[in-house]
Amino acid sequence: MNMIKTGLLTGALTLGGFMAQAQDDVTLQLKWVTQAQFAGYYVALENGYYEDEGLNVEIKAGGPDVAPTQVLAGGGADVVIDWMPSALSAREKGLPLVNIAQPFKSSGMMLTCRRDAGVESTADFAGKTLGVWFFGNEFPFLSWMAQLGLSTDGGPDGVTVLKQGFNVDPILQGQAACVSTMTYNEYWQIIDAGLTPEELTVFKYQDQGVATLEDGLYVLEENLADPEFVDRMVRFVRASMKGWKWAEENPDAAAEIVLEYDETGAQTLEHQTRMMGEVALLTAGSNGALDVADYERTVQSLLAGGDDPVITKEPSGAWTSIITDAALN
Amino acid sequence: MMLVLAALGVWAIGWGVNIWVSHQKPGRWQSVVSATVFGVTAVIMWQLVVTGLEVSPVILPPPSMIFTAFVSSTDILWADFIQTFVKGALSGYVIGCSAAFLTALAIDRSNFLKRGLLPIGNFVAALPIIGMAPILVMWFGFDWQSKAAVVVVMIFFPVLVNTVQGLDAAGKMQRDLMHTYAAGYWQSLFKLRLPAAAPFIFNGLKIASTLALIGAIVAEFFGSPIVGMGFRISTGAGRLELDLVWAEIVVAAIAGSAFYGIVALIERKATFWHPSQRK
Amino acid sequence: MGMRNILPVFTVVMVIFALWYAFAIVLNKNWAEDKATRGGYELSFSELVADTWSQKKPRLPTPDQVAGEIWQSTGVAAAKKWRRTAGDPLFARISEVLNDKRSLIRHAWLTLSATMLGFVFGTGLGILLAVGIVHNRAMDNSVMPWVITSQTIPILALAPMIIVVLNAVGISGLVPKAIISAYLSFFPVVVGMVKGLRSPEAMQLDQMRTWFASKSQIFWKLRLPSSVPYLFTSLKIGVAASLVGAIVGELTISQEGGLGARMLQGNYYGTTLTIWAALILAAALAAVLVSSVGLVERITKKRMGFVQ
Repeated sequence: MNMIKTGLLTGALTLGGFMAQAQDDVTLQLKWVTQAQFAGYYVALENGYYEDEGLNVEIKAGGPDVAPTQVLAGGGADVVIDWMPSALSAREKGLPLVNIAQPFKSSGMMLTCRRDAGVESTADFAGKTLGVWFFGNEFPFLSWMAQLGLSTDGGPDGVTVLKQGFNVDPILQGQAACVSTMTYNEYWQIIDAGLTPEELTVFKYQDQGVATLEDGLYVLEENLADPEFVDRMVRFVRASMKGWKWAEENPDAAAEIVLEYDETGAQTLEHQTRMMGEVALLTAGSNGALDVADYERTVQSLLAGGDDPVITKEPSGAWTSIITDAALN
Repeated sequence: MMLVLAALGVWAIGWGVNIWVSHQKPGRWQSVVSATVFGVTAVIMWQLVVTGLEVSPVILPPPSMIFTAFVSSTDILWADFIQTFVKGALSGYVIGCSAAFLTALAIDRSNFLKRGLLPIGNFVAALPIIGMAPILVMWFGFDWQSKAAVVVVMIFFPVLVNTVQGLDAAGKMQRDLMHTYAAGYWQSLFKLRLPAAAPFIFNGLKIASTLALIGAIVAEFFGSPIVGMGFRISTGAGRLELDLVWAEIVVAAIAGSAFYGIVALIERKATFWHPSQRK
Repeated sequence: MGMRNILPVFTVVMVIFALWYAFAIVLNKNWAEDKATRGGYELSFSELVADTWSQKKPRLPTPDQVAGEIWQSTGVAAAKKWRRTAGDPLFARISEVLNDKRSLIRHAWLTLSATMLGFVFGTGLGILLAVGIVHNRAMDNSVMPWVITSQTIPILALAPMIIVVLNAVGISGLVPKAIISAYLSFFPVVVGMVKGLRSPEAMQLDQMRTWFASKSQIFWKLRLPSSVPYLFTSLKIGVAASLVGAIVGELTISQEGGLGARMLQGNYYGTTLTIWAALILAAALAAVLVSSVGLVERITKKRMGFVQ
């Protein structure tokens, strides 16, 4: 009996392998570790949306040392997820990234501060220590501080910046007055650690008018000249957005799917379910197409970066709607 | 493709020069020349292959770009060097080595402690201490203190184990001789046992000198102020500043080798009498 | 370790444990007091101690908390999986248990396989380089200083770049981690083997020459056998270095799991227990690896007649 079963299984696997061969390969590089932030793609993979489009998609998780832009340049992925400030900065440095879709409509980035450290409004930042993520994620912060007229070199009139690593320890241990958090992730780690929302002051980049576009899909400009590649991306974006909309409607099931794909086994269902709920608020309102007004706001915010702006001139050709136009009609 | 072939040609020339050098009359100059030729050949090949294969500079920048970045950002590199090497690595090295040395002297008088600590010391010396880095950053804060702490933890046991072994290096006969001279513990320690232990202690100090800078840099990956070699390396790739990252790596290699070289030089001066230093 | 060392070692271990518990109070005190101040209540000393020894995310977990975490993520996780797969064929069940992503057994195995592959790469490269260095003066002069320089470069800095470059040529998975691991482990092997291959004294070499032994005969019959004790000493250091390399690789390629990835995840989510459990398991792995090499050393030396 077992023999037959194994035989059938092998047959099925071979067939599956054969079918996969007949499909087009797409490799997606994520910006960070496997978590509900990327639920749409995992749902599309698990529910077979990619397969339906004739795609064989490999999702590569990221991590603190993985720069999606670098992976894209090295040919390790066809399409990557990145934040627009980092992508535009890379573009100005000579790596021509193009935004082909923007599943995240709103920004989830915040600066979370302890009330007992004396931070109630942006006027209280001067002289404080603030935790910031680097590795390309510092750009929105730097341009916000420049707009507030605060220097980031320390001193009583400026702010002292520390590279906060990957967790919220600095605020728990009192080493920083504020730390960077995402609405869907680190903020809840602070709450889980025992601080209450009343004890915290939260500055959402969205509310401060300095929001920049977050998770978008980027490809290399030269590839867009290839109609076959464009066709693959159209199918990829269509299936991905289908995955996102399903995830928004079924947050619990989506969280479970994400958990299935976490190779480290360190994530918890509780945390991922909550993350999915918060992420759904950010993807809501986007059908995948980039809103030009959001793009303009991001660019203006980055250009207004004081003495050392993130980008020095208005980028051109940094986004295209050809993929989403074809995918969503 | 031409450039790649040229790289092979450069390699052949470099190799030929080194063979020729090795057939000359032996002398100290030989190894210096050979090593330099090898290094220069490798750098030229790197340049030719990277340019020849059109490798994107955000993957692997050519040496010329790294050199330009090095020259144009000496102020950044210097500030990072002070933060990581002088404040983090060097202070950790001094604290760690002194602590290990004093501990070794303290347990030297007790056979019981020695037998208890040595196996554990050997065990800990083989542990992946690197995993302690995030924990120590959490305990000692984000500035250089936590980096020094990582260095202390990394080098303490290698130095301790070597020192304890060294203190046992003096032969029984020599010790008996000191005894017949009616030398006390301290006299015999300073006149006989510490000199006899010197090669072992220096072995520990040399191992620690290579670990110190690495420990300080690694600790900066887990949180730091916005200055430091590890900070620059760990954030540079995300900003596609690979040339600056490599410039920092060059600084690390130079500083680390120089540190090792200085300790080795002190060793040669201090233990000139030992057979291992004879030529 | 001889029998006579057992009591002293035991005593020292006990002292370490006592200090550990004491430090747990000191380090976790702030958070307990912070909670109390914000909650507006007072803590007696015994309440304080109880709190510091049982926090969910302590700065320093106690040994029993760490042991509990290890048990949860090995034994308990395995038992859960075993029950959940009831009805499947035996082999399928065993493989399910061993491949459970939530189980540290799988992550330790991933780390071990990267370590072993890296150790093989590193040892092979180290021996080849050493043979070249001993037989070729040009290589001795030119390569050796750079071998030393290579070890002053922080591997954690190189790791992401090694991985991106390998990725660009289509190599991923276990091999990049093994290469990082080999980068650390080849060094002690080169140094030890060069010393070992040069250890025959001039008299022994002269003796071989009087027998008209060829260069290769001298190598196989004299140099190689004399280098064996040196080789094993370096292999013990090398295998520990391989493990460090594998963990560093996993910190960078964290998406595939492994003990290094667990440490990173623990750091990311602020769950210190995860970090400590992975750390202790890595320590156990180091102990097993080093003592296995020690065992092979003893058997080999006995067979070769180094010890009677």
